[in-house]
Amino acid sequence: MNADRYSRQSFLGTDSEEFIARCTVAVPGLGGGGSHIVQQLAHIGFQSYVLYDDDIVEESNLNRLIGARFADVLAETPKLHLAKMMIYGLQPQANVRGFACKWQNHPEPMRECQIAFGCVDSYKGREELEIACRRYLMHYIDVGMDVHGTDRPVIGGQVILSSPGGPCMRCMGFLNDEKLAQEAARYGKAGARPQVVWPNGVLASTAVGLAVDLVTNWTKKHRSHAYLVYDGNEASVNESFTLRNLKIQPCSHFAVSDVGDPVCVEL
Amino acid sequence: MKIIVKLTGALHAEILRDLTRRHPFAVERVGFVSARIGTLADDGRLILLTRYHSIPDDEYVNDPSVGARIGSEAITWAMQAAYHGRPQREGIFHIHLHGHRGETGMSGVDNREIPPMIPGFQSVGRDAVHGFVILSLDHGSAWVWLPGDQEPIQAMDMAVIGSPIGVFQRGRRK
Repeated sequence: MNADRYSRQSFLGTDSEEFIARCTVAVPGLGGGGSHIVQQLAHIGFQSYVLYDDDIVEESNLNRLIGARFADVLAETPKLHLAKMMIYGLQPQANVRGFACKWQNHPEPMRECQIAFGCVDSYKGREELEIACRRYLMHYIDVGMDVHGTDRPVIGGQVILSSPGGPCMRCMGFLNDEKLAQEAARYGKAGARPQVVWPNGVLASTAVGLAVDLVTNWTKKHRSHAYLVYDGNEASVNESFTLRNLKIQPCSHFAVSDVGDPVCVEL
Repeated sequence: MKIIVKLTGALHAEILRDLTRRHPFAVERVGFVSARIGTLADDGRLILLTRYHSIPDDEYVNDPSVGARIGSEAITWAMQAAYHGRPQREGIFHIHLHGHRGETGMSGVDNREIPPMIPGFQSVGRDAVHGFVILSLDHGSAWVWLPGDQEPIQAMDMAVIGSPIGVFQRGRRK
């Protein structure tokens, strides 16, 4: 390998290349957000991946799915295959474990990871991923975008870092029972929400930035959590107003000891 | 079999803080940490360290032939913890620090003194995972007795899920 390869990111630290290579990441969902994330992780030098997606490329994906070509629509290429090709094209030695299913159907490989990126559509899906990350000790980085309104559309989105021992998405005011109940009333469907490539790119880049900082500690910020809000109309990313005004207490939703395989306790 | 150990950054910091405190007479400190178990792919096991238990100064025995020797009170406490952990299948790991950088290994004293504790833990917490952890200033290694096992398996990785993340791989310098 040419020593020059990572010379432009040497500011990340002397051992950063090794730290990045040693980290194992999970990306459940390889659509608009996940495909950006995988591409960036591979460029940066991540070598170990656990990927999940059971979908194929469709024409409606071409406006935002990184790496997808028209030929992939005709060939019904699995999104998982696209992600693998992206990674192997940049990191031929990478260890990629890919599963053409939902992560819930085969959760064990993900548990080895140190970071899981959530690029899922529903609140329920986010909650399930966060629970898994707390139970098996992984940083969870949630990425999501939405477009509200039709006359004057507003693009919004968020990137959230939820780390074991730190505030969770409920503590940070992002998830609550009301949101989950409203979604459940729609039979759990998030619906075919509007999605475009550039907000996904901004959000994915922000998420990858948080991950690189967790691995290399180049900013020395020692983050225990983050809740960043994207305003697509203003083209800005800022700390969540809710979080700024929230008094962060130790997480009351996930006990430190509630980890590992659940055990049935005899009463 | 692949075995991976994980703990949070906060727990790792708490352990290091305690183990680096000076003791009135012992050269080093030891402690115990509770652990639960998770299933990995291909029958691997994830060992999740949950809570640290510091050993009070007066439960050390003054024995200049070793860096630290703990008395029967501390051992009894650990066995009680293993017993009380039975409903949750929560086991007990002995933990101490080698004050250097890089990968840690078992010293002759470690090899002689620590493994004999494990059958005691297993006898009172047979469905849980037990073992010991040796940390260095920037690495860590773990030896794990799975339920029913008579011999340990050395963990492949130990990961500190904090900020920053630490991934201590067996056979890697740091």
